[in-house]
Amino acid sequence: MRCVHTFDLGITAPLAEEAFRAFLRETSTGGDRLLALFAEEPSSGRFLLHAVAGGSAPGRFLHACVEASPRSFRTFTDVCPGTHWFEREIYDLFGLVPEGHPELNPLRFHEGWPKKFFPLRSAGAPAPDPRRGYRFLLVRGEGIHEVAVGPVHAGIIEPGHFRFSCAGETIQNLEIRLGYQHKGIESLFPGGPGMGKILLSESISGDTAVGHSTACARLLEAITGRPADPSAERWRATALEIERISNHCGDLGGLSTDIGYLFGAAHFGRLRGTALNLLLKITGNRFGRGLNRVGGIGPRVPGIAPEDLLGELSRLRIEVGDVGTTLLDTPSVVARMEGTGRLLRHTAKTLQFVGMVARASGRDVDARRDFPSPAYVESPPAKVLLDTGDVMARARVRFMEMRASFDWLSGILAGVSPADTPAEGGNAPVSGRRLVVSVEEGWRGEIVHAAVVDGERRITRYKVVDPSFRNWPGLSFAVQKNVISDFPLCNKSFNLSYSGADL
Amino acid sequence: MLESIRKRVRTGKVTIPLPAGDPPAPFRGMPVILDAFRSGNVAETCAKACATEAIDPEKKTMDLGRCVFCGLCEEACGGKGIRFSQDPRLPWGKREHLVLGGRGVPPATASPDLRSLLGRSLHLREVSAGGCNGCDLEAQALGNPIFDLQRFGIDFVASPRHADGLLVTGPVSKNMREALVKTYEAIAEPRIVIAIGACAASGGIFRGSYAVENNGVGGVLPVDLFIPGCPPHPLTLLYALLGFLGRSPERIPGGSSPSPAEPNRDRTL
Repeated sequence: MRCVHTFDLGITAPLAEEAFRAFLRETSTGGDRLLALFAEEPSSGRFLLHAVAGGSAPGRFLHACVEASPRSFRTFTDVCPGTHWFEREIYDLFGLVPEGHPELNPLRFHEGWPKKFFPLRSAGAPAPDPRRGYRFLLVRGEGIHEVAVGPVHAGIIEPGHFRFSCAGETIQNLEIRLGYQHKGIESLFPGGPGMGKILLSESISGDTAVGHSTACARLLEAITGRPADPSAERWRATALEIERISNHCGDLGGLSTDIGYLFGAAHFGRLRGTALNLLLKITGNRFGRGLNRVGGIGPRVPGIAPEDLLGELSRLRIEVGDVGTTLLDTPSVVARMEGTGRLLRHTAKTLQFVGMVARASGRDVDARRDFPSPAYVESPPAKVLLDTGDVMARARVRFMEMRASFDWLSGILAGVSPADTPAEGGNAPVSGRRLVVSVEEGWRGEIVHAAVVDGERRITRYKVVDPSFRNWPGLSFAVQKNVISDFPLCNKSFNLSYSGADL
Repeated sequence: MLESIRKRVRTGKVTIPLPAGDPPAPFRGMPVILDAFRSGNVAETCAKACATEAIDPEKKTMDLGRCVFCGLCEEACGGKGIRFSQDPRLPWGKREHLVLGGRGVPPATASPDLRSLLGRSLHLREVSAGGCNGCDLEAQALGNPIFDLQRFGIDFVASPRHADGLLVTGPVSKNMREALVKTYEAIAEPRIVIAIGACAASGGIFRGSYAVENNGVGGVLPVDLFIPGCPPHPLTLLYALLGFLGRSPERIPGGSSPSPAEPNRDRTL
């Protein structure tokens, strides 16, 4: 299977530090991109850093690991800036200090936590240095003032803290402090590969229940050696595309709200509901919970016949087309969105952003093509790529992606897509300590789940990478030199998950 | 401009009347506890399949404050002990009202004093306290044209100073505890607290994590109304909110039954 890969850790020797740095440097410059960087404590007091990369060819996965001292490691941000937040996360969870890191603030642990509390570091490891306090970047200059927003925001949204440094109305710097939604998800995964893990994965980010649970289910299936059959995989991909449509509709509605365009807000709010109700008809839940089981899909899935679903989708497609065209052709809407919140292609490439945010800035990454699951192997949805990187581009990417999803869905539901190839086996079974990686393109971007599994098929370390975790720093870049009143619009155009980033 | 007016006319009214029909199969709504659950080892079978310890095989009860509506218990017992119906109306009230199969408890409708104080208006400040965003999205969906919460005089406001109460989602992450308590304290008394979803009632799927409070919102604030679900369907929220305020859907303006001219038009919503 090209979306899941198992590495035999029994035959993988840790690299020398320079070789590991070269591996990460390659992901910044070469065709393979970084998927995850995370730490593990295989035995008390011994620490390993794992890097997973790939994507230059369909199904290409690479892995490298390096030993780290119980205190610190040298930062990789100088050769691979995309590791920035990953290193802060490693510091948070294990207390390993990335020496030379440009901005070593705790990501998730606020002032109230004990200074020596690092949740995934074992009690037997040497005592860590106390956690450093959080320091906001101070912008100096005549007339510079700070605006602090959050953690509780004005709408019905998740909590996070935004600290703006402005000169007049213009944003000079935005510092994003998260962690409020941190609930220790990764600490709940270790153990047997049972259904409880899929339920957990459904709650990593509530609007991406299908994406995360599908990535998790395939990972568990690689551990247990029971892949889902092609029909189950087809329903997984179907639900994934409908999840994409529902969220893209919701976001176009949200963008409309933020510029006071009530027509778009009302209609896309309604159409999002229609798409969610299709997920309900398939899985029994508006967010697609209950879709996945270990080894396939739920016994009551799908609750709707393909031809009925096709009919409903074609009606939805017409409406989305109508409303979306009206929205994106309205001069007052275009005037607010064009040129606002520009994220440069260079930034997106350097920091290795993912998903539709990257695709609106000309970075061509899509896990459905690069790590295709069985239903996408033959023909993934059509490529959508824009390069202006502004709010308008992110709105248009959503609209175009919905069109591509509708096209793809009508193919697969009508049975014309030649996806009915027999179930692909995984790579050669590994019986000892291993690393299993599973990738899926959720609606925000690529979701990566990785698990270190021991010889008894028990998970000892589980790593979740939500696309939001990758893309949050992008928002800071996009809002620079914009007026602060455009922040809600820029923020909505990213619509990142707080829960997915905070885990 | 013309196009948007045309679209508006073509779309017509989409708001769902109350009481509404059930969502379509395979929706997992109100679980029905069957006789077999109370005999033999059916409850044990169900309890073993449950990832959130919602089922007590000794007391033969099912705690909807912990249930994430995954349906695994129904699958494990083959639908003999527990069967999920399509009814979106779930029990609501104090924490004990969420336990099925336990002793009967009197209803937990808001006190007459509070109801007369609120009149036909209830304004809530929402706080997401460590949840996955699922419950928040359903609370948000209440404001869309389909569920149209505002027609009942209930709305969400930006400032706690403008609110009559708090609507909380999530298991209360330790990082959100302080912000949650401060928001609560900023609301003028008397104030109500509504906790929605399994996480807010018990910690849900995150119960036992080092990063969340022990007993959901109830461990941090005095909760007046719990609404179960994972996440609760917007209809579940509507029924519970109106029930708590002592306003049954049949007696609400604009909440009439579907008219005969449009039979079941919105049934599947």
